[in-house]
Order: sequence, then structure tokens, then C-alpha cells
Amino acid sequence: VQKERQRYEPVNAAPVKSFFVHMLTRDIKLEDAILDLLDNSVDGILRAKAGKKTSGSKTPYAGYQAEIEFAKDSFTISDNCGGIPWNLHDYAFRMGRMPDRSPDAPGSVGVYGIGMKRAIFKMGKRCLISTQSGQNAYDVDINPKWTDDENDWFIPVKPAKRMDGQDGTTLYIGDLYEGIASRFSEDAKAFKTELERMVATNYVFIIDKGFKVKINGDTVKPRPTRLIFDTKVTRTRKEVIRPYIFKARSDGVEVFLAVGFTRPIPSQDEIAEDQEEKKYSSLEAGWTVICNDRAVLYCDRTELTGWGEAGVPRYHTQFIAISGIVEFKADDPSKLPTTTTKRGVDASSTLFLQVKNKMREGMRIFTNYTNKWKTRPEDSKKQIEAGEPLSFEDIKAKSEDLVFGPTKTSLSRGEQFYPELPLPKRLQPNTRRICFNRRVEEVESVAEYLFEEADTDPSEVGEKCFDLMLKEALK
Amino acid sequence: VKQPAYQLRSNKAVDRLTLIDGLKRVAKLADLSEYAYYSLGGPYLEDFRLLYEFYPEIKMISIENNDEVYKRQRFHVPCHSDRLKLKRTDFKSFLAQYDAGGEKSIFWLDYLGLTYGHFEEFMTLLEKVSLNSVVKITLRCEPSDYLGKDDTQTAQKIDEFQREFEAVLPDPSAEPPSNFADFASLIQDMLQIAAQKTLSSSMAAKFIPISSFRYADGDGMFTLTGIVCLRSEEAKVRKAFHKWHLKNLNWGRPKIIDVPNLSTRERLHLQRSLPCEKRAGRTLRLALGYLIDKNIRRTEAKLRQYAEFHNYFPYFMKAIP
Repeated sequence: VQKERQRYEPVNAAPVKSFFVHMLTRDIKLEDAILDLLDNSVDGILRAKAGKKTSGSKTPYAGYQAEIEFAKDSFTISDNCGGIPWNLHDYAFRMGRMPDRSPDAPGSVGVYGIGMKRAIFKMGKRCLISTQSGQNAYDVDINPKWTDDENDWFIPVKPAKRMDGQDGTTLYIGDLYEGIASRFSEDAKAFKTELERMVATNYVFIIDKGFKVKINGDTVKPRPTRLIFDTKVTRTRKEVIRPYIFKARSDGVEVFLAVGFTRPIPSQDEIAEDQEEKKYSSLEAGWTVICNDRAVLYCDRTELTGWGEAGVPRYHTQFIAISGIVEFKADDPSKLPTTTTKRGVDASSTLFLQVKNKMREGMRIFTNYTNKWKTRPEDSKKQIEAGEPLSFEDIKAKSEDLVFGPTKTSLSRGEQFYPELPLPKRLQPNTRRICFNRRVEEVESVAEYLFEEADTDPSEVGEKCFDLMLKEALK
Repeated sequence: VKQPAYQLRSNKAVDRLTLIDGLKRVAKLADLSEYAYYSLGGPYLEDFRLLYEFYPEIKMISIENNDEVYKRQRFHVPCHSDRLKLKRTDFKSFLAQYDAGGEKSIFWLDYLGLTYGHFEEFMTLLEKVSLNSVVKITLRCEPSDYLGKDDTQTAQKIDEFQREFEAVLPDPSAEPPSNFADFASLIQDMLQIAAQKTLSSSMAAKFIPISSFRYADGDGMFTLTGIVCLRSEEAKVRKAFHKWHLKNLNWGRPKIIDVPNLSTRERLHLQRSLPCEKRAGRTLRLALGYLIDKNIRRTEAKLRQYAEFHNYFPYFMKAIP
């Protein structure tokens, strides 16, 4: 008997809605999902400003703001950043981006067209987006019924006017998932601190350039990294503290890199104390990488940014004063060396690897200086404090007056400024560091005896003891 | 950090007794004999003496790093060594090795300063203690620490403060408040954030505050007491403390302890008018018939404090040994 042949019909490979709604949201942190929404606001500004002349302005984002409000039962982000033009609806609301879609406004960070949807589905089942962009003003309503319906891929849109009449978008998310609601209520204070910290670090340059972000009523105020730049260079005073700078333009991407000191190098006592107990809960040492004004990596102190590689020592408290910033700018965001989440660098990007060589080259100058002066931190402090802490933008402006030299790099139009840092004239073969431990009570007794002050700095006590004995010995 | 001798620290003495009183309510949640008390007791072991007086069933462990203080503690032990163990170690090393092993505990992190390291120790402890354990933390709360000689120095101190505590600040860019009450609220917020970070809503356990105070016997101090319990048993904890007049179950503003200096004769005289719930300040002022501070407002504020805390206020007397 001949067996009946199995018939194979074409299988259904269409995406399932719940995949987007539940799976896609798993691999992103809640804070990151909210940053995606802020990215949309920033991209809105770039769209609104496209074609307008703003070059040269120090605060191109001034006047634009986004307000985030979260509570137990809802999340809202409201901005005045231009709104979502109707011709972009296919990008804004579709899950993913069509390949034939025209590129975004120059300089935006969004590439994949998933951020807003992912953020909504991460938080809740209901969403109302109300947007106004020029003549277009409409509401998009996503409700739980739509989320659960596998066959309905269309979302209703209604014409509507925004209350304040300004171009911008308000996105409201309700029916929050239980875990999200409890983070917005039971963990509210800790969540706000963390979100504020993330906004302050990721948007440090955008906020510095005028953008305003409020979280539950409080304005986020970042602390931008400032590098010491000594401008008082004369014919006899050439060796001063200034950052190492590298710039290049390659395949539509502009690169600007600066690395230097943010503060005096630490004393041996400070290093020892830090090993016992962490003094600061945040540090600005390390590398910050910016792609189109957005910090995608903040104060990194790992191999990813060159620490502990190719002659650069591993990060250690000793190098607490060293910070670097590297900026990538491109009209086409797909050329930037950042990951899909915009929360990290693409470590395999050829462009980033080439720039990383320069990051290491710059870092070596400052780790070397630190090692050379570590036994004389007080002398080094005077040199560092002679300079002025300058913001990244100010360094860029100041760099116009510096003499750049060519550099061996495969990046086109690469050039660098090599600072001449002061180095000890001799390597001090005649001095030795003396270091020892004694019981606290004993040190206090000697301090009281010598200085009539029990809490005198222990190193001062040690030095005085040595000097007294030396006097005796030389008699 | 210098503080007056402990016998002159009447507000701290009141705070100690509020802990003792609070434990009465903890007894509604679990048998106190299942608890062990850990503290950085100082040379006189005053808190241990009190605890032994009120709850002899609680096992006690003192942690002290200084050799001479340790010897002095041995001199002051209030009871037999099978009830009180004196450990000579620093708190960080103790914490690294501490394993609750299911035993409920009462911890008093009685610090004198305010550093981020203290917050880290508090967070580590919350992770380690068993359910229904009590954690009390005392921190320095002195706004003047962040005032410099001039604007530049003040700005530097504020910047240092923000860098040091950024991870637990409710608004990382806000400046530390310049008045005592607001500074105490800020430290409480910082501890709330530290607690929420350690025992977040995705975990079964939660830290619930039961009381918080600020006081200044010399420099300002802040103290918070709370319980680590199952989220599902939060209502039970709230119920146990519901009727306590010193409770702070919802992270409200810390209460002030600022008891007046009254002679024993004055106290005995006022005793006849206590307890006094309505217009206590005025009633006690009239009972005395004179002012004990600069004006009526201040006198009544002090006497209101006395009315609230008189039961926790020890009598300091001259004794002939």
C-alpha cells in the first residue's frame, strides 16, 4: 500500500504582536526605555531646527524642554520639541523601520524605529499620544484591547488640538504593569535618583547646550566634565597642564577627542584611604563617549576605552584625576560607533578602534605624568591649579589657537595637539619615600607632644619625627 | 567629632529610651528572646545597660575596635558574659563576616560622622539581616559642616557633598539645606533611597521606618529606626506601632528631641500636670509660673518637648558611691 504523502503548506512566519509587546521589552531596563523617549524629544528638536541656521550657537537646544512625571498609576512625558509630523507616522508608530524610509533629520540618534513602542509596552497597556507639528495635530490611542488583539495592527488616530497650542508631544501611559507601578511608587525616591543620574550623564552635553529636562518637577542639572587648561604659556613657561587633543574627519563622521586632568593628582594618603572606604559615590574619572551630543558611555574605566591595554596601566585610584571625552558627529546616525540601545559603544567598529588608539596615546601622557609626580603631589597640585577648568565646548574653541601636528592614523584629516607637561627635572634619585603604620593612639600621643593637637595629619607627625632625629644625627 | 560627655547628653538619653520603648511594640511581632542586640556601645555600654534592665532575655553583642575603649567596656559590663559578648573588631570586618543564620537581630549603627561609607554599611546590613530584624542608624546632621569661610569654599564643600552622596541624593544637583530640620529630612530621604535600592519592590523584604528623630546635645544628629519585614506582612508591622505616639511609619518629617534643662524639683512639680495632651506648653508654663527660655514661645516649645518625652527623660543626680 502506497503511503499517503504528507503535504507541506507554507508556514506562517508573520510576527506575533505579543512578541513585540512582551519579548522586546525584556532586554531593556526601565530607565533606558525612558531615555529612548527623551531621545525622541531631542530628535524632534533636530527635525524642527533642520534647515534653520544655528551653527555657532553655544546653546542650540535653548527653549526646548521635556517634562517627565511618574506616579503609581501613570507615566507622562511632555515636550515642546516640534511634535511628530504626520508624514512620519509610518516611522513613529510602526514596529521597526522600513528600509526605503528617507533618513531622519541630520544628527539624530534614532536608527531602528523601535524606541518609543518598546518604552510604551515596557510600562503599560494603555497609551495616549497627543502631538502637534505645524498644521498636523492628532491623538493616537493604544488601548489594552488593541494590545491583546493579534489581528488588529491598525491604531486609531483622531484629530485633536494640544492644550498649550505649542508644537510638541505628550505621551501618557496608563494601566501600568504591576512591577512598573511599584517602582514608580514603593521605590519612587530611589528610581527618581537613578533616572535623574542617568539623564544627567547621558544628556550632559545636550543639557549644557540649553535643553531642559524636569523629572517630577525637579530640573536635572548635570555636572559637565571640565579639563584643566593652562593658557598662561610664555617663552619661558612652555610646560603647562593642557589636555591632549585629537581631531579627524572620516567618512562623514567628525571626531574630536580631549583627555587631561580634572583635578590635582591624589596624595598617597588619599589613595590609601580610598582603598579602605569608598569616599565618593560617583567619580568623573575615565572616558565619556558622545555620539551626536548624546553620551553613550560615561566615565568608563575599563579596557573598552583603553585602560589596561597597550602600555596604558589599568585604572586605579591613583588616576582619579584623569578624564577624557571623545565626540563623534555624523549626519547619518548609522555611521556612529554606538550600539542599538544607544547605551554603549560598538567596540568592534573600525572607526572606534582607530580612535581608541588615540585615546590610549593621550591617556599615556597623563598616566606617565601622574607616576612621575606621585611622590610630590603638592608640587604637581600647584601646576594643575595654575590652569583653568574648561568645558568640552570651551576646549574646542580654545583649540582653534593651538598648533596641531599631523598624526600617523588611517583616519583622514587626523591631527593632534600634544601638550608639553612639566616633568621633574631630575628623577629625584636622592629622595626616598618612608611609609609605616603605627597605632592610632600612639600617633595621637606623638602629635599632641609635638603639635599640641592630637588630630594633626599623621604624615606631618612622621616628617617632624624624622627631622628631629636627623638634627640629632647630624650633631 | 567632639560631643559632650554622655551624662550631659540628655537628648541622646531620650533617644536611647525611645528605642527601648519601641522594642515593646516589636514584641508584638516576635518573641524578644529570639533577638540578639548588636551595637557600637562606646566606653560605658550605656545602651547595653538599659537593654539589660528592660529586656534581660535579649542576647547582646558589642563591637569595638579601640583597645583602650574595649578594656573600659570590660570594666563596665552590666551583666554576665553569657548575656553580653564584647567583640574587639572594627564594624566593617564584623559586617563582612556576619551571618544572621535565621537569628533576628536589633542593630544600632551609632555613628558620629556622616560619610558615604556609612550608607554602604547600612545597605549591606539590610541585605544580611533576617526578617523582623530592627535596624537603627544614627548619623551626624550638621548643616554648618558644608559652610565655608567664603563663597568659593562653600561651593567646593557643596560640590564635595554632591560627589560623595550622589548615589543616594533625592535630587543629585540640589544643595545641602542650611537649616537643621531640612538637613535631617534630607538625610532621612537619603536613607530611604539607600533602603529602596537595597530592598527594591521586586524583592520580598522591605524596610519600614518606625521612628526618626533629630537632636543636638552639641552638634546636630539624626537617627532612624526601622524594621526589615516581608512586604506581605507590612500591615502587621504598621498595626504593631499604630498607637505609638512617636511612630513615623510613612517617612514623615523627623521629630525633634530638644528636652529642657529642668531641675529635679521643677520636674517633680510638673509631674502633677502630666500627662497633658492639649496645650501642653501653656499648661506647663502656667504651672511653673515663670519662663525657662528667652520668651513665651520658646518656653512653651521646650515644655511641649518635656510633655512629649518626660517618660523617656532620665533623672541625672549627684550620687555618692
